[in-house]
Amino acid sequence: MIGLRGGISAAIVVILCAALGMIAWGAQQAAVRTIVPTIMAKADSVGRSAAALVETATQAGIPVDRLVGVKPYFEALIRQNEELAHMRLVRGGVVLWESGEIEGPDWPEVHTAVVARNGAPVATLVIAIDPRLVSEQVAAVLIDVAFIGVVALLIALELVALVVGTRGVTVLAAVEARVRALARGRLVLHQAGDAATDHLIAPIDRHMAALAQRHAAARTLAQARGDEAAVTALDAVAAKTGLGSTQAGANQAAAMVRPALFLFMLAEEFTRPFLPRYVQALAPPNLPFSADVAISLPIVAFMAAVALCQLPFAAASEWLGRRNGFVLGAALAACGYALSGLTGSYYVFLAARVVSAIGYALVFVSAQGHVVDRSAPNERAEGLAVFVRAIMVAALCGPPIGGVVADRLGGNVAFLFSAGLAGAALLLAAASLPRSVRRPHGHGLGLGDLKAAIQAPRLAPLLFGCAFPAKFILAALCFFLIPVALQRSGYSSAAVGRLQMIYPVIMVLAVPIFAGLADRYSARSFFVAAGGTLAGAGALLVAFGTTPLVLAGVLAVLGIGQAMSIAPQSALVADSARHVPGGHSAGVLGLFRLIERSGNALGPAAAGLMLGAFGFVTSMMSVGAIVVIGAAAFALSGRNTETTGPSSDAASEEASVQ
Amino acid sequence: MTRTTAVLIGLFALIAAACVAFGAYFSYATLLNANRAAVEARFAITAQRIAGTAELASSLGIGLSSQQTLTELLQREARIDAAVTTIDVADEHDLVLFSSDPKRIGHGDSARAAATVARVIENDIGKRIGWVVVHYNPGVLAEGAEALARDLRVIALPTLIAAALATVAVGLLLAAGLKRAVRRAADPASWPAPARAALASADAAYAAATPVPPSTPALRIVAAPGADRPGAKS
Repeated sequence: MIGLRGGISAAIVVILCAALGMIAWGAQQAAVRTIVPTIMAKADSVGRSAAALVETATQAGIPVDRLVGVKPYFEALIRQNEELAHMRLVRGGVVLWESGEIEGPDWPEVHTAVVARNGAPVATLVIAIDPRLVSEQVAAVLIDVAFIGVVALLIALELVALVVGTRGVTVLAAVEARVRALARGRLVLHQAGDAATDHLIAPIDRHMAALAQRHAAARTLAQARGDEAAVTALDAVAAKTGLGSTQAGANQAAAMVRPALFLFMLAEEFTRPFLPRYVQALAPPNLPFSADVAISLPIVAFMAAVALCQLPFAAASEWLGRRNGFVLGAALAACGYALSGLTGSYYVFLAARVVSAIGYALVFVSAQGHVVDRSAPNERAEGLAVFVRAIMVAALCGPPIGGVVADRLGGNVAFLFSAGLAGAALLLAAASLPRSVRRPHGHGLGLGDLKAAIQAPRLAPLLFGCAFPAKFILAALCFFLIPVALQRSGYSSAAVGRLQMIYPVIMVLAVPIFAGLADRYSARSFFVAAGGTLAGAGALLVAFGTTPLVLAGVLAVLGIGQAMSIAPQSALVADSARHVPGGHSAGVLGLFRLIERSGNALGPAAAGLMLGAFGFVTSMMSVGAIVVIGAAAFALSGRNTETTGPSSDAASEEASVQ
Repeated sequence: MTRTTAVLIGLFALIAAACVAFGAYFSYATLLNANRAAVEARFAITAQRIAGTAELASSLGIGLSSQQTLTELLQREARIDAAVTTIDVADEHDLVLFSSDPKRIGHGDSARAAATVARVIENDIGKRIGWVVVHYNPGVLAEGAEALARDLRVIALPTLIAAALATVAVGLLLAAGLKRAVRRAADPASWPAPARAALASADAAYAAATPVPPSTPALRIVAAPGADRPGAKS
């Protein structure tokens, strides 16, 4: 039986797919009506310019059939304007000069008259346009619109989850749970909650309670008279129907924090596509370092602050309480975003980014701690999966929206949007998370834990050969080099944002597949090494060019490579953690996170230095080479013994969060 | 529950409508960018052509500020396309040296103005020696934006309303189904077949285990009329 909440969520997906399909159709029609005439106008402009040149020559006394260099000129124009397929100069129905090819009789043409000084017609210049290229341009717009559709759908699902997860629908959830249990033939009791007194629920609960009571009484009587057969029969019925047992409610810890976390992460993801452009405009010319370093520095400062705060904040979040930690972190981040949008000073902007990073780290550890605190060990992987999904969906939706907002309203307004989102996350967390339980003696992790952790068997090659380079290349390419390169080629922030969606899309789709394969073939080390090699090798694709298509290919290969390695890598880390003596397993996970975050911080820093010194292509290839070397070092370190630990899927939820 | 259901259906309808509006607005923004790119490509050709001429003269040893014939070229190119308002050639410091509009000579910051397309003029060693800046009528973009907004509004508004109404309709259908199910759940005689089968097995086990007649007859299954017929709804 499908409930109201599940049913309407599914219906919204279907309805939105149909509605967004209609919007895409409308967009296609609008593009044909508006953009195609603009392309024709461009051909007309080229025609009039060429005709003016011919007129200048003829007015100087050169007969039109004796002109020199017309054919190479036409060829150059066709080469510069890919929509133009064929150009010809015609006089009295006779073609004097022509260049290019027409493959269809109905290809659109633009005619421009060449006239003498007295206005008498001398010749006609005809330009044929290749309709396939015009269609390609419209199709490219439609691909962008399709991306927008995916983002709209994902946001709708997050909003649905937000509504479904609120306390207001407790009664509905309780009703659905009881109706669903009966539809499956389960006569179970339900946990008494806020909804138990509802007039619709109470009669059902009374029936179940009476049945359970009757069953228990009959069993007691049967036991008392020593009727083993009756006891066995009653137990068999109880096992089959659930009589007397209480159905536990689903763990809501992750569902509670998911909407607030999604909104918060969206705030940071918003900034990804336009940040380099924004910083470039903000950076004064007299800085003591190069422009590329100036652009990378705010990204480095943010990532470094997150990396450094992560460990101490684990204890701080326990001391503050999870809700308080989340609220305080979101408030700090909101202030940081607002200051980033309002300041005109590069150094104040740097400080604002650090404030946002501190808030980000506190929110992250508080949200993660909330899920871990409130779920049993067997529920933890599922809870963290919800947690990771909220972050990945934010990574998918944030860049394209942030790009469009920055293009339309400016980067400073986009930062204020981020501040608003962080503020909304704060309010949502305050309203939806349970009251904080403060643990004054929360100790987090110390240096001793990290020292012990690094001695875990075979951990160092994994962390320094694979985990660090994975985040190093992600931050260097995705957050710095590719946005900067596209920006310098004249692409909008919206275009950068859409390109940045490729990586999270692939991760969301491919991580579970590769995790399953790595487990099935007991080949985690192989997948880690192969994934790292592939991710690094993808960066070498820039040797074939730096067009958006090639860069999309780089991001796609990076995504596939990291999707291959991330879950098996987390499983190997979790495996190492189990082998650490002296109860330092938490230290392994803490060290893993610290090294990953350091990669995040050093990636843009190194990329900024390399970009200024060696240029884009060399920087990309160098970053890729570092990752390939790291993967090779890991493969050669002899880590090829597979042990049976937690499944990659489950481990990845524990250890693979951004 | 009725109020909760109504609020929930209303919220879901709002979400559907908001997401259609979001999709439509962002599609509009995407089309706007595409339109701008198409419009500016037209003026970029003109800028490129003039930059090529200036670079050729520069390679023959004529400094940019000495290329006096540029004025006539700029005026001719500006006349060709009615959407072009003025064309400037500025030096590397953005100071206008030549222009199709003589009043602009000596002005600065030409390349950063709105509704402009700029192309760099380089010398033989690739050093920037100036800019060609084509100023175009912003009305060209505005016209396109208006047409796009009109076209999209025509499709987006009915789609948005239809999505909201469809969500309400589906919500009401599902709510009615849930209400029926919950009413039936309150009466064991109307329980779905799997629940009735479970109850029957519980009754049978109870009857077998209890030598005296059961004290809670109200829980015995009472078959609804036609409930045992093949094909009866569960």
